[in-house]
Amino acid sequence: MAVSSESQVEGGDGASGEVAAKTWRDTLGRIKRDTTARWGLYVISVVLVVGLYAFVDTYLSTLTFGAFDNYTMAEAIPIFDHPEHLPAPGESQPNQPPAFHVDGSLEYPLGTDPEGRDYFTRLVYGSQISVSVGIVATLLGTVAGTIVGAVSGYYGGRVDDILMRSVETLYAIPGLILIIVFTEFASGGERNIQYAIIGVSLTTIPIFARIIRSRVLSVREMDYIEAARAAGVKDRYIIAKHIIPNSFAPVLVYATLEIGVVILIVAGLSFLGYGAQPPTPDWGRMLAQSYRYMHSNIWLSIWPGLAIMFTIMGFNLFGDGLQDALDPRIDN
Amino acid sequence: MSTEPLLRVENLKTQFVTENGTVRAVDGISFEVYEGEIVGIVGESGAGKSVASMSLLRLVDSPGEIVAGEITYKGRTIFAAEETEDGDRRPREGTLSAETVRKEIRGNEIAAIFQDPMESLNPVFTIGGQLREFIELNRDLTGDEARKEAIDMLREVGIPDAEGRYDEYPHQFSGGMRQRVLIAMALACQPSLIIADEPTTALDVTVEGQILDLVDELQRKYGTSFIWVTHDMGVVAEICDRVNVMYLGEIVEQAPVDELFYETGHPYTKALLDSMPRPDRTVTDLDPIRGVMPEAIDPPPGCRFHPRCPDAREVCRQIHPEPAEIDRVDGFAHRSACFKRDVFDVGYDESPPLDNLARSERGQEPSEVASGGEANE
Amino acid sequence: MGLLRYTTFRVAQAIPVLIGITAILFLFINLTPGDPIRIMTAGQEVSEAHLAYLEQRYGLDRPLYVRYWDYLTGILTGDLGRSIHFDRPVTEVMWPRVGPTLLLVLSAFLFAMVTAIPLGILAATRRNEPTDHISRLVALFGVSTPSFWIGIMLIIIFAVQLGWFPSAGLVMPWHVPDDAGVDGYFWHMIDVIHHLFLPMVSLGTLQMATIMRVERTQMIDSLQGEYVKLARAYGVSERTILRKHAFQVAQLPVITLVGLGLSTALGGAVLTETVFNINGMGRLLIDSIGRKDYQVVMSVATILAVIFVVGVIITDIAYAYVDPRVTYGEGD
Repeated sequence: MAVSSESQVEGGDGASGEVAAKTWRDTLGRIKRDTTARWGLYVISVVLVVGLYAFVDTYLSTLTFGAFDNYTMAEAIPIFDHPEHLPAPGESQPNQPPAFHVDGSLEYPLGTDPEGRDYFTRLVYGSQISVSVGIVATLLGTVAGTIVGAVSGYYGGRVDDILMRSVETLYAIPGLILIIVFTEFASGGERNIQYAIIGVSLTTIPIFARIIRSRVLSVREMDYIEAARAAGVKDRYIIAKHIIPNSFAPVLVYATLEIGVVILIVAGLSFLGYGAQPPTPDWGRMLAQSYRYMHSNIWLSIWPGLAIMFTIMGFNLFGDGLQDALDPRIDN
Repeated sequence: MSTEPLLRVENLKTQFVTENGTVRAVDGISFEVYEGEIVGIVGESGAGKSVASMSLLRLVDSPGEIVAGEITYKGRTIFAAEETEDGDRRPREGTLSAETVRKEIRGNEIAAIFQDPMESLNPVFTIGGQLREFIELNRDLTGDEARKEAIDMLREVGIPDAEGRYDEYPHQFSGGMRQRVLIAMALACQPSLIIADEPTTALDVTVEGQILDLVDELQRKYGTSFIWVTHDMGVVAEICDRVNVMYLGEIVEQAPVDELFYETGHPYTKALLDSMPRPDRTVTDLDPIRGVMPEAIDPPPGCRFHPRCPDAREVCRQIHPEPAEIDRVDGFAHRSACFKRDVFDVGYDESPPLDNLARSERGQEPSEVASGGEANE
Repeated sequence: MGLLRYTTFRVAQAIPVLIGITAILFLFINLTPGDPIRIMTAGQEVSEAHLAYLEQRYGLDRPLYVRYWDYLTGILTGDLGRSIHFDRPVTEVMWPRVGPTLLLVLSAFLFAMVTAIPLGILAATRRNEPTDHISRLVALFGVSTPSFWIGIMLIIIFAVQLGWFPSAGLVMPWHVPDDAGVDGYFWHMIDVIHHLFLPMVSLGTLQMATIMRVERTQMIDSLQGEYVKLARAYGVSERTILRKHAFQVAQLPVITLVGLGLSTALGGAVLTETVFNINGMGRLLIDSIGRKDYQVVMSVATILAVIFVVGVIITDIAYAYVDPRVTYGEGD
């Protein structure tokens, strides 16, 4: 977890769209100028491009000029029906070291895994799972958390009480443990990644619910909200059109940082066997497999870990930079 | 009153180097404080008053720095710089070291009271504890003696049940009470000079009145001198003996308090007075000063007030006025930095008037402004 | 309010949360369609009669809410059900495994605080100097790297390659061999630390990085406070300001963070115990899920959540102890 829980960031509080727009433009400008944010974005883009490339290549290897054909094939992703291709005997050696090693070759730049598959390709394809799960799970959690927090903060009273108590109780169960128990049992032992995603988002809901709720509580008291209510505007409309947009700025920062946290959690989940199931390549799972070869082939353990670290760092850098840009008082 | 001032400040300049440029927060001010008097520094926000007062204790945080001038206290040099052969700055011989300033000046000789009593007191320590720490640091008392002194002082500033409240925390006190605690802190260290930086600004008017009365009483009892920084002319009228009016880093007028109010010498001071409600005048409209004080990074050329001054002339834009003596009252000089005065010989009368915000708002004709400086009703 | 009253208040507040935790976990575990006994014995030749006997023995033939109520009341009497796999009471199964987990988690926190707080203060005082940048970089790596990967890398480098540390297992401080004198005791402690070191660092790095960042921010903030200015104006030395005036106020959010970090740490303990093959609660959880030993899963998850809640209460009390505003209310 990367951030202090109490950083309240001021977004556009202006009632008029003009003021809000200007604040957003200012903010974007500050973000662009912040070095940390920029570097974060570079890193994230690298990862995204890699993932996108892999995604495209799954279907249209002609589009990618069959660049990956030489390297032993990408694994199938269960939801898309893609045939798996294992190397014919003699085509490659299992447990080959990477290219810069004496026994390695450029054909398999990062070596091969115990089944002879090209590690580099697996790494590239693994990025899809990490990034997409990270983003989707965070998104789900943000949306759900926002709704809960907004409703809770706006209506107050018993609704608030019940919702917040439930959220608190959910939060009281340590994250990974909650997800493991949920995934295992909700999926009936099959540990599908969809359930893992839901499980992960369950752990992020309390955080966002709290942030939104506290913002809503302050925005709710503003005069223009009272005016709208007095004019008879429906509650739902008020919440959607006024309350949520004005409470959103801190959520943006937090969501970005949360993606980093989520990817971290998902890596742990995969390591334990709750993430993507074989034969889908997935960094966490690759590390779980490499664990057995700690004594014989250390390279298996090195690359996926570096990849995970690199990806998370990108999101953290970006989130940090975002936070600095939106809350400059610290380095004044 | 002895003829040697307690504190003499000469041409003090304090600047902040930022990425947008150099902020000349204090740009050459000179004044004195004598024993037993309360000297006010008054001006709008951003005029440099707080920076000036903090400079006296050499409490300027980077990127700020005192770049020029001389600060002498009881004959000791708190700050004085001179140029080296390479054109750099170094402290002049005899200037007190930072360590000496910390140990011997801060607290023991010159104490401070800040504006926001809630922020100035550490929330996790008892007020008694904080008081005691400062007393132990600045006087030759320890442990129980210091504690007793602290309780006595609390009583002195009018805090009921001083012994009991000694062990309480800042948030358990009201705003006025906290300010009294700060005053107690200052007096308990027995300094000869107390710098009060807008101590009543954050308080209710009635509480403010009580505090001012208290200060008055204690000042007469202990004979401590005060530098009172404020933006409120009313406060100035009530407790100051002499006043310095600051605008954009400079002192534009300096006079004993009555002189300042009744024989105002500078258009800025006059404008300040005119823009406030006064119980001794009945007006239908208040007369605010047009425009806004510019940033200290890029001050206007010549007289810094000229863009907002109703009496501005061409010459005001070309030449920069320094405060000059225009009168002497009770042995103290009345200085003003405005060319309207005869003592300046720069051809003010002949110079054509400036067409600025103040003038056009007022709709004045040049010929209507007398060179003696009386504003129109 | 007084510290005692505050403690009672917090504990009372926690009770509904604890009950809620058991409810949520019970709900999750029973999400799976079909009953645990059948799932567990699927693929085995078991007669219906035997199944019925097992169901009755483990109380699975009763309706959901009855089972839940029994479980809840059981907790109060110390009965957490029966492990199907071990055929022993759950409490018996859990008991020897609580020690290792607690030892691991607490030592990780100790490690984190001992390193992070001085580093954070150092970074704050040398802001924007090289020391600051390096510390921040280290912290960034710390929050971006999966703990289990750190564990694997540590094992590879320090255990496999260099042989300085053992690669698995923990030695408990209280398992002193009977014939050891004072001398033997000392060497036993060394052995404990020897085994504990790598897992401790692996689990504690994330905490360390998080705490360091917040400590740095808080110290910077605190050092800019008006009360620090006042202390300086009264001639307090910089050292005293750092040590006393700025430090204590800055610790408040850090205390809260430590409490919340326990959640991540418990999840991380599951991973660390897996990597280092430590026989703790985390491993028990994973293994029991694999063995479909649901009672154990339920109880272990509950206990871990309870540990978290207790930890948060303790840190809240510590916070109240340091910050008088909490217990003495507002005086204005």
